[in-house]
Amino acid sequence: MSTHRYRRCLFALLAMPLAPGAFAGMVTVDVTTTTGAKAADAVIVFDPLDTTPPPSHDKAIIDQVNKQYVPRVTVVRTGTEITFPNSDRIRHQVYSFSKPNKFTLKLYSGSPPTPVTFDKPGLVVLGCNIHDHMVAFVGVVDSPYFVKTPGSGTAALNMPAGRYRMRVWHPNETGAEPPREVAVSAAPMTIPLTIDVQGAATAVAAWPE
Amino acid sequence: MALRTRIAVTFLLLLAAVLAAALLAVSETNSRNVERDAALRLDAGTRAFSRLLDSNRRQLTHAAHAVAADYGFREAVSTKDTDTLVSVLENSGTRIGAAMVVLTSLDGEVLAASGSQFRPGMHFPLPPAQMESADGDNDSGFIVDNGRIYELVAVQVSSPLPVAWIAMGFELDAAAARELAGITGLSVTLSVKSADRWSDTVSTVPVDALRGEDVVTRRIELSKSNDTEIVAVLSRSLAEARAPFESLTRALFLIAAVSLIGFALAAFWLARNITRPLQNLTRAVGRMRDGSYDVALDVQRHDELGVLAEGLKLMQSAVQTRDQSIRRLAYEDTLTGLMNRTAFGAALSEALGGSDPTPVAVAVINLHRFRRINEHLGYSVGDAVLIKMAERLAAVPSVRSAVARLAADQFTAFARLQDANTLQAWGTSLLVALSDPVFVESQPVDITATLGLALAAPGSVSADELMRCADLALERARREKRPLALFEAALSPAAPDQLSLLGELRHAVEHDELRMFFQPKIELATHRVVGAEVLLRWQHPTRGLLGPAEFIPFAEQTGFIRKLTRWTLDRAIAQGARWQRAGKPLSLAVNISADDLSDARLDSRVAGLLTRHQLPPPLLTLEVTESGFIEDPTRALRMLDAIAALGVSLSIDDFGTGYSSLSHLARMPVHEVKIDRSFVQGLESDIEFAPVVRSAIDMGHGLGLKVVAEGIETEAAALRLRDMGCDIAQGYLYAKPMPLEALELWLEGRVRVPVIAVPVDFPVEDLADTVNLAVY
Repeated sequence: MSTHRYRRCLFALLAMPLAPGAFAGMVTVDVTTTTGAKAADAVIVFDPLDTTPPPSHDKAIIDQVNKQYVPRVTVVRTGTEITFPNSDRIRHQVYSFSKPNKFTLKLYSGSPPTPVTFDKPGLVVLGCNIHDHMVAFVGVVDSPYFVKTPGSGTAALNMPAGRYRMRVWHPNETGAEPPREVAVSAAPMTIPLTIDVQGAATAVAAWPE
Repeated sequence: MALRTRIAVTFLLLLAAVLAAALLAVSETNSRNVERDAALRLDAGTRAFSRLLDSNRRQLTHAAHAVAADYGFREAVSTKDTDTLVSVLENSGTRIGAAMVVLTSLDGEVLAASGSQFRPGMHFPLPPAQMESADGDNDSGFIVDNGRIYELVAVQVSSPLPVAWIAMGFELDAAAARELAGITGLSVTLSVKSADRWSDTVSTVPVDALRGEDVVTRRIELSKSNDTEIVAVLSRSLAEARAPFESLTRALFLIAAVSLIGFALAAFWLARNITRPLQNLTRAVGRMRDGSYDVALDVQRHDELGVLAEGLKLMQSAVQTRDQSIRRLAYEDTLTGLMNRTAFGAALSEALGGSDPTPVAVAVINLHRFRRINEHLGYSVGDAVLIKMAERLAAVPSVRSAVARLAADQFTAFARLQDANTLQAWGTSLLVALSDPVFVESQPVDITATLGLALAAPGSVSADELMRCADLALERARREKRPLALFEAALSPAAPDQLSLLGELRHAVEHDELRMFFQPKIELATHRVVGAEVLLRWQHPTRGLLGPAEFIPFAEQTGFIRKLTRWTLDRAIAQGARWQRAGKPLSLAVNISADDLSDARLDSRVAGLLTRHQLPPPLLTLEVTESGFIEDPTRALRMLDAIAALGVSLSIDDFGTGYSSLSHLARMPVHEVKIDRSFVQGLESDIEFAPVVRSAIDMGHGLGLKVVAEGIETEAAALRLRDMGCDIAQGYLYAKPMPLEALELWLEGRVRVPVIAVPVDFPVEDLADTVNLAVY
């Protein structure tokens, strides 16, 4: 991984919006699979029920390395511009037939012509027309409160206290918890989650709306 | 069975057996080959079928992949643009000739379809995953749609995650079956079982052909589910498989038939080649057996038969040579090379028995003083002389003549002569030929010869008789000291009569035309009958009763007298025996000629007759003329001695006529003499005869013999003879010769007195000893 890429990742993290003033509580999610393993790439979204978050003008990057999308799973706020740099020496094409955000980037190498704005919420599946196995998932959400589990299966985030609708998604899950309300208070809380993950990703799990 | 047939049949059977075994083996191998070939073909067909399906699958897979990877298609799928999808399916189906192209959702719902009855919303009967062929090596699927069978391959459509299946299929139709049949050489049938019923969807053969026994099949299951089953059946007609082998078998049969026929012809030809020369040789041997050696034995071969023929040829010539030499020994005189007596007799018989009427003349030639030539000059000179004589005789030109050597110094020849006048000339020419001096070792040897001639017409006499006539003529010539004499009877004008007389005489003996007449003998002193002389008469069928003078001399000349004597002896002895058995014995006298005396078996014959008829020998008297002693007095005496030894009386006939010397007479074992009738007749007419007669009677008495006078016709003569001391008289004065019945009547009237006392019980058995003595 090049330093250039690190910088971009760092930039993406730094670009995460932080609500001013009201960091009332820290929520930690702990996702395990039904077999007891820690589940990476699990996406947990907390939709605030009491406030309406403002539109976002975030930017994100999905790189193409070794004929793989990196990262495979990305969660962005609605309105985020995602750039698809091509780190391979070969050309790639990027398309999405997903309803919320249909687009096509013609074959290119190196820097992409333009970023793609994901302006509708929902799940977008990305593919490369000439490399069928290249698949990436982009979850587009309105809420600024979401997290994607790393390899440890555990992630934490600060949110103002209040009521939230919690959604859980994993590209391979077959039986995730249905969305539910979560009350966040000032006190830190940990939400344990268990998901059922299939071995092979021949189908993608439905995006919880 | 003939050798030829046996050889041919044996080899034919052998060949037939070999051919049959070969055909059987070929036929057995063929039928195994047919089955193996069918099995191999089915295996190959199965592989080909499976390869065809693979090939289809690969083709379908590629096509389906191409469609699934098409961006526009993916977009159409994602956007569920049905019209576009159908058109894409149609297009891609047409490209590879796929009969069916169907797009389904991931769980089998038809999204779009082309070339089939499937419509969007319908459920595709076969789960797509079962016909998935991601890399072209997986199984394909089979479905039946609307009675048609399809081979299907399904490929997932991703955008980029799997969203649908595209299934493409070829129809396994008649064309496919035909193609497969063409590749495999088998019949292909595709059958579907639906609702427990089988139906043949496609077949390259009539349905019935699969059900027959003469077919092998291989079943390949294509698909099986609860309610549907699809199978492919590959089949091979055994009859079809057998066809090439059958043509081979037919060819073999043809070859077998042709070779059998060819072999049969060759065998028969060969066998005939062997047996025909054998038949020829057999024929030649048969001819050889019959004495013919002229069969050509030229077998131009170099094999065993040739060797056999050569051997037979050598044998033939050897046998012929030996045969000729045996014939020469049998029929040739070895010294002179002339015929011998046997051969000459045969030749003469042939000449006399032939159809040529020309008279045949026979000459018998005797060389004089030949014994002296042998004694004085040696046998080699004698032989040389004989050879010379033979050459000269053979060189005398005669018409169809033959010359032979009969004895040491005797030759004979015969020739055809036109008439009797040339007979003497021919005889003279023979004598002239012999008369020239013969030079032996430059030394002249004089040869003189005497010759007897006889002539006869063919058919009138036998060869023996004719030669005998010539012999008699020779005798006469010698007697008369002439070089040549003819047989008189044959020369007289009545010759033909005379010759026929011989045949008639033979006939007379055989047909009982001869009669015995008896003339009694009377003892002068007592006038008693002491016996009777047997005289022959011939009751000739045309000429009446003939006296002895009319045929006895002729019989003596021709030698036939022996037969007459034999006949007379038999009858006379039989008659004497009858009288003896009747108690009225009478001595009988039978005349014996000179010729009879030369018969060496006369004594034994007489003895045999006496024994057979059981007549005491003293009752038989044999009368012999003096002339009987002239030719060979010693031999005649020996015979008389033998007869006398039997006990038979002997009498000298015609005593006083002349030839016998007194010394002979003294030695003769006779009992009586018979004074010749000329003396008795002379006594009656001429007184000067008396002393001669008296002397004869005295001489007889002086020798101790009884004296008999015959031809007495007057009482005066009888008295004078009695006065002269004659013992017994015979003549017309007492009785003429008379037949048996007359004699017996005549005897009834007289006192019968036997000449000598013979006991009635004379021991006949003793005769046997006497006979034996007589033989020696």
